[in-house]
Amino acid sequence: MATIAVPLGAEIESHEAEAVQRPALSEYLRWSVDHKIIGVQYGVASFLFFIIGGAMAMLIRLELWTPDLDVMVSGAAYNSLFTMHGTVMIFLFIIPMWAAFGNFVVPLQLGAKDMAFPWLNAFAFWLIPPAAIVVLLGYFVTPAEAGWTSYPPLSTLFSGDGQTLWALGAHLLGISSIMGSINFIVTIFNMRPPQMTIWRMPLLCWAVLATSIIAVMATPFLAGALTLLLLDRVAGTTFFDAAGGGDVLLWQNIFWFYSHPAVYIMVLPGMGVLSEVLSVHSRKPVFGYRMVGLSSMGIAFVGFTVWAHHMFTSLQPELRIPFMITTMIIAVPTGIKMFSWLGTIWGGKIRFTSAMLFALGFMSMFVIGGITGVMLAALPFDIHVHDTYFVVSHFHFVLFGGSVFAIYAALYHWFPKVTGRMMNERLGRIHFAFTYFGFLFTFFPMHIVGMLGMPRRVAVYDEAFANWNQLISFSAFVLGFSTFIVIYNIIRSYYRGPVAGANPWRALTLEWATTSPPPVTNFTDDPIPFEDPYGYGTEASAAYLDAVEAAFDGNENRTILD
Amino acid sequence: MEDNRSNTPSISPAAIVVAAVFIIVSAIGINWFTSFVPVVLPDQASAESKSVDELFYILVIIGGVVFFLIQGMLLISVIFFRARGDDRSDGPTYHGNPLLELIWTIIPSLVVVFLAVVSFNVWSQNSEPKAAVNMINGEEIAIKVTGARYAWTHTYETGRLDPDGDPIVINSGDALHTYIGQNVDLELRTQDVIHSYWVPAMRVKQDLLPGNPAAGGRPTEIRFTPIRVEGAQYPAEYPIVCAELCGDGHGRMRGTVVVYEDEQQFLEQFYDPAIHAILNPPADPVLRGEIVIQEYVCHSCHVLDSLGWTSRTGPSLNGIADRAGERVPGQSAEEYIVTSVWDAAAFLVPGYAEQMAQFGPDQPDTYQMDAEQLYSIVAYLCTQGEQSDCDLENSTTAIPEAIKTVFGLEVDITFGQGDGEATDAEV
Repeated sequence: MATIAVPLGAEIESHEAEAVQRPALSEYLRWSVDHKIIGVQYGVASFLFFIIGGAMAMLIRLELWTPDLDVMVSGAAYNSLFTMHGTVMIFLFIIPMWAAFGNFVVPLQLGAKDMAFPWLNAFAFWLIPPAAIVVLLGYFVTPAEAGWTSYPPLSTLFSGDGQTLWALGAHLLGISSIMGSINFIVTIFNMRPPQMTIWRMPLLCWAVLATSIIAVMATPFLAGALTLLLLDRVAGTTFFDAAGGGDVLLWQNIFWFYSHPAVYIMVLPGMGVLSEVLSVHSRKPVFGYRMVGLSSMGIAFVGFTVWAHHMFTSLQPELRIPFMITTMIIAVPTGIKMFSWLGTIWGGKIRFTSAMLFALGFMSMFVIGGITGVMLAALPFDIHVHDTYFVVSHFHFVLFGGSVFAIYAALYHWFPKVTGRMMNERLGRIHFAFTYFGFLFTFFPMHIVGMLGMPRRVAVYDEAFANWNQLISFSAFVLGFSTFIVIYNIIRSYYRGPVAGANPWRALTLEWATTSPPPVTNFTDDPIPFEDPYGYGTEASAAYLDAVEAAFDGNENRTILD
Repeated sequence: MEDNRSNTPSISPAAIVVAAVFIIVSAIGINWFTSFVPVVLPDQASAESKSVDELFYILVIIGGVVFFLIQGMLLISVIFFRARGDDRSDGPTYHGNPLLELIWTIIPSLVVVFLAVVSFNVWSQNSEPKAAVNMINGEEIAIKVTGARYAWTHTYETGRLDPDGDPIVINSGDALHTYIGQNVDLELRTQDVIHSYWVPAMRVKQDLLPGNPAAGGRPTEIRFTPIRVEGAQYPAEYPIVCAELCGDGHGRMRGTVVVYEDEQQFLEQFYDPAIHAILNPPADPVLRGEIVIQEYVCHSCHVLDSLGWTSRTGPSLNGIADRAGERVPGQSAEEYIVTSVWDAAAFLVPGYAEQMAQFGPDQPDTYQMDAEQLYSIVAYLCTQGEQSDCDLENSTTAIPEAIKTVFGLEVDITFGQGDGEATDAEV
């Protein structure tokens, strides 16, 4: 038998823990600098906001069941509703949810004991609750009603005081995001074990690195835009008021210079998750590892050059063509990822775990978002469907079919590591079926109503679209229902799930080479990563995985202590 | 690389059969997809719509190939490459294939270049300025669109003068009237927030951007040429939709494009009667008020059953004359209504915020309202009620007095009377 790299150094023989101690639930409610506690704090908080934002989505679909205004008291109330839906889902759910997985998994994958700046990490998280309170409070004063994009002058001269609170809350969330991202960048560059060169780094770390670079570079622009907006609202400046010499397009330019890259902040970590999950659950190396890692950087870079495609109907006509071209180019690195993932599962030994189902669901749905993305880039066609339900459909295929499916895949994949217990796979499959079909039938028909002439952000619409909207609303309720299945599964599995052991999926990355959940210091010694994070199918990797199992799961009396 | 190839089961006879089936299914599927193109798009009512839809057709074919390729490979993978039974083994250690990776980088790049070129061509063709725009009676005229929360106003600057020497401007409210073959070129301005002028059947859309009112706003432009739609009855109507969130009534901010069969039908059914009506206003202030009040954006916020208005952003105008005398102590019904039109903030109906548009002689464009127009609007509103508080019998003196009391302006109540003699005066 060849010599193998063992992750635990001298500890391998002596590790005889009979029980794994889980952190007390009360620890999650307190200030903690442990990245694993902070990761769970991020995750649970984000999931609560997902439920709030989802409930708002259900109300939106209830209102749209008929062409008339019947559920909400006024059009303005409806506008506030979808403004909050978008804000909560983007700023309080998806972005912090990736901070949750990044926080929990990245230091473990790097074999590190914690993030580079643990205190900063905790501070970044604890900015979120006050920010959320500020944003949500705005809904109960005179709410913002200018959409999550908050275009002036609607957001400056007309929207209520909630708009000011919205901007303040978004400011705080931006600060939190910048601090978290700096932490990730420093951690990933400096805290890898000596054996892990940048080309042996797990792809989730690549994706989080690319995401963090985008966040650090782009978020200050959001801060700038929000500051100008706040000054216009409370200090009487006229940055966006044409009557005072301002320009409404200034907001659109700065806002989208942040918010388009923000789309990649929301989806790139999901792509990292896909690379992990697809490889582990099809027992095959990631196809074209380098190109997958580099394409994240490519998307991050090109993502900064496309913002004005959000302004195709307001931009000077002669500036539209260059942005059409840059936008189309983004399809190339995205396509590289998609084909590489197909190459990864092709010829593998696919296990249909819930994590894998959601990863496959991501590919199946995200490709539609990619195709409609290229369609929207095609300027003459975009002019027709700009600001219609076609666009609503497109970005939900990217952010739900993409990000949320990846979040679910990550949840099923790493839940055993976080809690020490497995999730229920049968419930996971049911959850997947409801989510997949509920999602597909909610969002696919939106393409059609959009092309036929239904604009977005309307509470009343042409009666010709009533049947389509009933189909959409019905499917949305199915999709909403699917969330209860996963909530039940999470709670039940936390207490009753089978004990997972260190490495239930037999995965090669370092987070699986320690107990589930890991001890406070993550590893009992400096772990040595396996030479190839995705080297499945070799004798060496099998021996390594057997060694990990022997080291941690040899004791048959392993139990989880709460 | 040879070794690696032998690891993958992609060259087995079964795979060839699967690939063949897959290609056939995709071909049928894409063909089926494209058959939906006319179903999922509105009528092609403009020259621009033809080329935009052709581009969409190309996008659907290429998108269809990508869709079936990816979904097909996913489907094949989950069927053929699933771990069977209690197979706990790993898949082949296959790290990649540089040639394949190069192929799936270069081919999408070429496709993207192709799409960019096609899109660019369609765009240049559609955005090329046209020589003769807004031709009516052999002359180019200006057609302007004003967006205001929550209504469109279309005005035709006819270039003619009425007997008083004022230019004749047709206000056709939320309807744009045009005819097949007319190169329409609209100048768009907004009174308040950003709106977006979208005519789905024409495949055109353009935002209206707030500009400095002192500098004449920030006009934007939208161009299209209506064409004949097979099987349509003329005049044909197509919706105008506001596509940019503008507030409470955004969803209601709609209008209509009325397309006439030819210029003659356009002149007979719309243009000439409209000019005739301007030159021959009704002498009765109430009848005149009924016309004037519909030229402003009042309908976008108020309910008024007698004119079919249904918007609920502002207070209802049904029976306004019954309440007008009791609203503000010390104000007569006439004075109250006069105040409410030009200075809405002076008294806010309980439950409604201060958000009514400003009208008056000093307001720009379609918000401009002189004392004579105010007089006729008030005369009309005084009739909205069962036992009006207004002095209906002496309205010709009561209303001008109210305007004088509140705003200090004299009203020439002979306005519009007797002008009818000078029918169709040319410039």
